[in-house]
Parts: sequence; structure tokens; C-alpha cells
Amino acid sequence: MAAKKSLSFALEPRAVAAFDDYVADFAWSADGASLAVAGGEGKVALARVTAGALALEVLGEHLLGTLALAWQPRGALFATAGQDGSVALWDGADGREVRRWKPAPTPTQALCFAPGGEMLASAAGKTVTLWSAAGEKIHAFAPASASAVALAFDRPGADLGVALNGELAVHRVEKTRYETRRYKWPAACLTVNFSGNGRFLASGMADGSLHFWNRSTGKDSQMRGYDGKLELVGWSDNSRYLASSAGNEVVLWDFGGKGPEGTKPIVLSGHTDRIASFAWQPKGEHIVSGGRDWRLTLWRPGKATQPIDVQMLDSEISVARWSPDGKRLAVGERKGLVTMFELVAR
Amino acid sequence: MSVTPSRVPVTVLTGFLGSGKTTLLNRILSEKHGKRIAVIENEFGEIGVDSELVIGAEEELFETNNGCICCTVRGDLIRILGQLMKRRDRFDYILIETTGMADPGPVAQTFFLDDDLKNQFALDAIVTMVDAKHFEQHVDELNEPAEQVAFADVVLLNKVDLVEPAALERIERRIRGINGTAKIVRTQNAAVPIEHVLNVGAFDLQRALTVDGSFLEPEYPFEWGGAYQLAAGDYLLKTAGEHDHHAHDHHDHDHDHEHEHDHDHEGHEHDDLSLVVLPLSAATPAELAAAVEPAVRAFAEPAVVIECHGALEQIPAHYAIDISHHGADFKFKVAKAGAYALFCEHDPAEFGLALAGQKPAAERKFASHHHEDDIISIGISDPRPLDPAKLNQWMDYLLKTRGQDIFRMKGVLNVKGEDRRQVFHGVHMMFDSQAERRWGAGPRENRLLFIGRGLDRAELEAGFESAVAR
Repeated sequence: MAAKKSLSFALEPRAVAAFDDYVADFAWSADGASLAVAGGEGKVALARVTAGALALEVLGEHLLGTLALAWQPRGALFATAGQDGSVALWDGADGREVRRWKPAPTPTQALCFAPGGEMLASAAGKTVTLWSAAGEKIHAFAPASASAVALAFDRPGADLGVALNGELAVHRVEKTRYETRRYKWPAACLTVNFSGNGRFLASGMADGSLHFWNRSTGKDSQMRGYDGKLELVGWSDNSRYLASSAGNEVVLWDFGGKGPEGTKPIVLSGHTDRIASFAWQPKGEHIVSGGRDWRLTLWRPGKATQPIDVQMLDSEISVARWSPDGKRLAVGERKGLVTMFELVAR
Repeated sequence: MSVTPSRVPVTVLTGFLGSGKTTLLNRILSEKHGKRIAVIENEFGEIGVDSELVIGAEEELFETNNGCICCTVRGDLIRILGQLMKRRDRFDYILIETTGMADPGPVAQTFFLDDDLKNQFALDAIVTMVDAKHFEQHVDELNEPAEQVAFADVVLLNKVDLVEPAALERIERRIRGINGTAKIVRTQNAAVPIEHVLNVGAFDLQRALTVDGSFLEPEYPFEWGGAYQLAAGDYLLKTAGEHDHHAHDHHDHDHDHEHEHDHDHEGHEHDDLSLVVLPLSAATPAELAAAVEPAVRAFAEPAVVIECHGALEQIPAHYAIDISHHGADFKFKVAKAGAYALFCEHDPAEFGLALAGQKPAAERKFASHHHEDDIISIGISDPRPLDPAKLNQWMDYLLKTRGQDIFRMKGVLNVKGEDRRQVFHGVHMMFDSQAERRWGAGPRENRLLFIGRGLDRAELEAGFESAVAR
């Protein structure tokens, strides 16, 4: 397929590696030289990334599937969790499994490192726990009101957000104070998304709505009209746009000026089947989306609502993640292919 | 361009604690049937068979519409199903076991939640296991067993070897009273051919809906009618005494619920028995049949309440006799010799009710609208075409007002101007509808089924009437 005439940038495939599993998630190392890969059937792999190659090695597995993956910011470790109930810490330098343990009787659904890399948060059922980077328990929060399905630290690492059925719980973790603020809404929160500027907290809901709270005033707002449960939500790096998708379109809410209330969103249409993953470019303004229609689509919403590049891959796209410098993109497919793209100026 | 893989069929297995669900799951997982089945079980490790495809779930309810119970789904299931789809090549089928006390509604509703789930999974059937030995006790004491039966497409009546044949008949009647269309399969030790559990196709809109014909037959306000040839005089109408178990039916069951009402939490009124007495021209089956319509009309009249030891003196008349005591008796006065018909709200055999010394010359049982449980099935069968706009209005109203009470509904509709069958099925307020096969040369007919708590036939019929095209 011929790409549309690009405005300025395009994605060029640089390397492909085969992974004998559904590519469920990626996590880039801080230096962008390594890529951890989590498989839907449970494989855990590590890929060395160079300009023209991906050298992928399977390190181990979680029986019955991986559920979460996170790379330690500023560090060499990455963490995985699986349906087998275990959490594993891996050394991204040599691929060694450093530690494996079962934080709770139920499987761990979500993992997130604090931005400083000194702390790992895990959520298993109603249990949210903080661990040191060595896997030692720092603090276990009182059991949550429901199963925690997503975790996120805010950019300074002062607060840990937890998505629950009926609320977002935000735990102050700075200086081990552990006070909790609750943002309640009578629906199941599926995501927790702090804006980079710290002003907003957003959540995609199981009832097909998007909710956000102004963190200083506590004012809450809601956007409706999604086709179904809203599992994909993400802030642009500069906090200008909040992207969301529950179908074939990426829906963008513009937080510039007076904010999105009372406005119509920017709708990015180009996929013909459900979008499985999208990712905002770090240190940039691009957003990339990958779908069940095998398409990888690059957008630059401030400039145009048409795609600036479209790539057709070999099967359904399951995940897309930018390298921390925003120059490379890892794309995973249902059938196991991992492709590394570079964003190039044309 | 995209290749959509076929939808994964899902069976939901419900049943009260101890009904045999785990035994059935172990059988299904160990039998050679060529299917790779992913099992989502309510507690990890309950199943004995080692399988890479057994996943534990922790029941977690999500309300999707501000607390409305009929829009409640299972959040844990949504997550597990999403995970399972990443291992799609490893299995062909999903079987979900619910906890003994679980309401199957949220499990089934989960598959109606959004297009994403609808496109990936095909709810195949809800299968409910019933412990024949304890069903009557459980259904009298708790709501869940009747609800689980109400949701079912297939009822596996298990442990039939532990129950007398007469009691089994009674249990089946009771199940049938709650759910008029579920397929009932008797089993021992959960040994059931797999086709009764998997690929049943109960939610498949493409398979023409088959509503059991007998279920759509008219219902009567009485279960039994008898014709007697009587001389003038006083007769004794008497129920069986405290220890006088009636030998002709369920003789040795150890918990006679029909006779005791202290533990009746459902608020049923069994204490008064409604009875109509009519004169006949002869005590023959034909004359008894001719008296059915007058009897229906007589049942609609207010009843004269007769206390224990009281007398039934008028003929024709509609009586409500107080049978709260065992061995209750009443005088039955016949002024003039002749043929008489007695129509009884319940089968008199249930109470050992008899006209002392007399046997009916003819008798007949009727499908009754009376049910021991407050969950019932109502079928509507009517050939008249429906107006699509009015139909929508009725359905909207029905679901808004009675969505919580309606557990299951399905139907084939004859919509005016549409040459194909409009087929629908639903769980509470969530439902699917589409145009299916063309009507052939045969007659067009609407067939609707509702299973729910406290449903009112007159209300449903009036609603249907409002949707008929004029």
C-alpha cells in the first residue's frame, strides 16, 4: 500500500524478529538499547536493539500467560507478572532472572515502577503493594474496595494511582506518608492516567465513558459516546491531548485553552477494525495506533487529522511502544512478529 | 482485509453447591472428545484434572449503568477473557463455572456488554445442574436455585439415583413450572453426553427458535377436573390426615413441602384451595370437556371461603376451602341426584383430597397457571403481524419497567413488511436481535418466551396487543 504523501515524517521498518508467542506488551530500557517482550502465552524475552537489528532471546516464562511488564526507569531491571501468580525481576543487562515471588494468592494484574526506579508497585486482586527494586516489601496498602486493574505513578513519583471498580484511589507515596485520596465514580475504572503537567487525572470506564478530574479543584468531567468499555487512554507528552479509543477511531480531547468541556473531540479515522494499541511519542507530538486491521498508522494531530503514514503488517497488531527518546517504535503482532521502526524525516 | 477468526463458543455452568458441577467439569476435562476446553472456574484448584487451560476467577461485579442490577457484568471475566484471547490457538471452547450461590445473570450479560466481546465470543448456553436429592429443600429456602433454573437452557437433573421416581416427576414438574423451555436431562454422577453441555446453540440466532409446543398451549386456572355421578345426600370432602400419606403418588418422600407452609418464604398462598363445582348432563369425558370453559369463567368469579368443617351447599359455585390443617374436612351437599364436575386449583392428589367413598367417572389434568415458585415462564403465540415501531416501544417499556424481573426472553417475530423472521434473545435488559431466515410458504407466527419473577400474563399479552399492526 502506498503511504499518503507525508507532511514530514514517516515510519521505516528497520528490523524484524520472530517471537513464538502473542506479543502482549513491550517495555523499553531507559537507554533504548533493550526491549523486553511479554507473551500472551507466557514467554518473556529480551531483544537487543541496534540501528539495523533486533536480537531476541527468550529468557523464561509465566505459565498461562503474562499479565504485566515494566522496565525500571534509569535502571537495568525489568519486572513481569503472570497468570501463574508470580512476579519476576529480570536483569536487563545479562537476561538473568534475579528474583521471583508470589505477592498474593491471586495473580498480579498490574506492575509499575516509580519514575525514580527505586520502587515497584504491584496490584493483585485487592492487594496493592510497594516493593524495593530488589523485591523487598516496603508497604502493603489496606485491601482495596475492588480488584485493582491498573497502576500509574504521577510524573514526580509522589502519587500512585490505582484503578478500581467505582473509584480511582490515589496514594501519596512521597516520604512514605501513604495518605489516600479517592476519586469516586459509579463505574468500573479500567485505566489511571496522570497528565504529565500534574493537573489532571483521567480514567477509561467499563461503561464506555471517559472521566477526568481536575486535581487541584477536584472538579470531575465526563465524556460519553464510546462504543464499549474504554481500555485505551493516554496523555500526549506535553499534556495537551488526552487520547482514547474503544473502537476503530482515536478520539482526542484538546486540553489547550479552556479545556475540552463543551467541545467536540478530534477524531482520527483510518482504521477499519478495532484499535488494539496506541502510543504517544515521548518528547514529540506524534501518536501511533495499531489495529486488528493489521494497520499501523502514524498521526500528528496538531497538524492534520489524516494519517501521515500507514504501514500494513503481517497480522493483527497487538501492541506499539516508542523508545524513550521517541525515535524508534516497537510493534508487536498477534502472530509473534516484532518489528522495529524508525521515525524518519522525509 | 482483516481476517476475523470465528467466535469462541462459551458455556456457562451454574448449579447449587454440591449439585455436581466439579464432577462434571472433571469428566469433561478427562474425556476424549477432541475439544480443547479452557475452563474458568470460580475457585482455583477445585478441579482435579491438571490442565494448562484451567484459570481461577474471583467473582467481581461491575455495574455498567449506575447500579442497575440488570446491567451488571463480571469484571473478572472481562479481564480473563481478554487474556485468554492472547492464547487463542490453544483452545476451541470456553466453559465458565460459577459459584453455587452466583446469579448467572452477570456472567451471561458480560457477553452482551459491547461489540468487542460480541465479536469474539458466542454465548452458547447456560447449563444448570440441579441436585435432585436436595432441590426441593433448596428451592423452598432460597432464591438462587430457582433463579439458576430460570436462566437455564439445559437443566441437568443430577443424582437421580438418590430419588424415588415419583419425586423425580414432581421435581421435573416444578422445574418446568419455573422454566417452560429448558431441556431437562436426567443424570447420575454427572455422567452426561457432552453434547448436552457444549455446542447447544441456545443463543444462536441462526438456529430457528424452537419453543416447546406444549408450553404454548393454553393454561387453566385449575390443574384437575373430575366428573362424578352422585345420589342426593351429604358427602365428605377430605384432605389426607397428618400421617395419612396418600398411597397413590409421592408416598415416601421425607420432606413434604406441599403440606407445610411455615418455612414458605416466598409468600405463596397454599392454604386456601380454589374449587369449582358445576352440574353436568352426564359424568362422561365429553361432558367434562364441555364444562371446561364454564369452569374457567367460574374461577374468575369471587370465591366463597369455606372454613374447615364447613359446608359446600351451592352448585354451581366457586369455593376457597381452607386446607391449612392436615385432614381438613368439608361437607359437600348434593340436593339432587345427578352428574357433577369438580375443578380443582391443584391436583387433589397433592393433598390427598377426595370425595369420601366416591371415584370420579372421568377425570383430566390441566396445565395450570399456578406455580409454586414466583419465577415462571410465559409464552405468547400469535400469528398477527407486528408494527416495528410499536414493537420497539413495547420492548423499551418492558425492559425499563420489568428488566430486572425478566431473566430470559427469546422469540421469533412476524414483523409487518419484513419477509424474514426477526429473532431476538436477551438476558435481563441486554439483548440481541436480527433478521434471520425468510418465512417460507407456511404460516407466519410470533412466538415469544419470557422467564421471570412475578410475570403477569395479562400485562405481557396487553403489551403484545399494543404492538400488533393495525
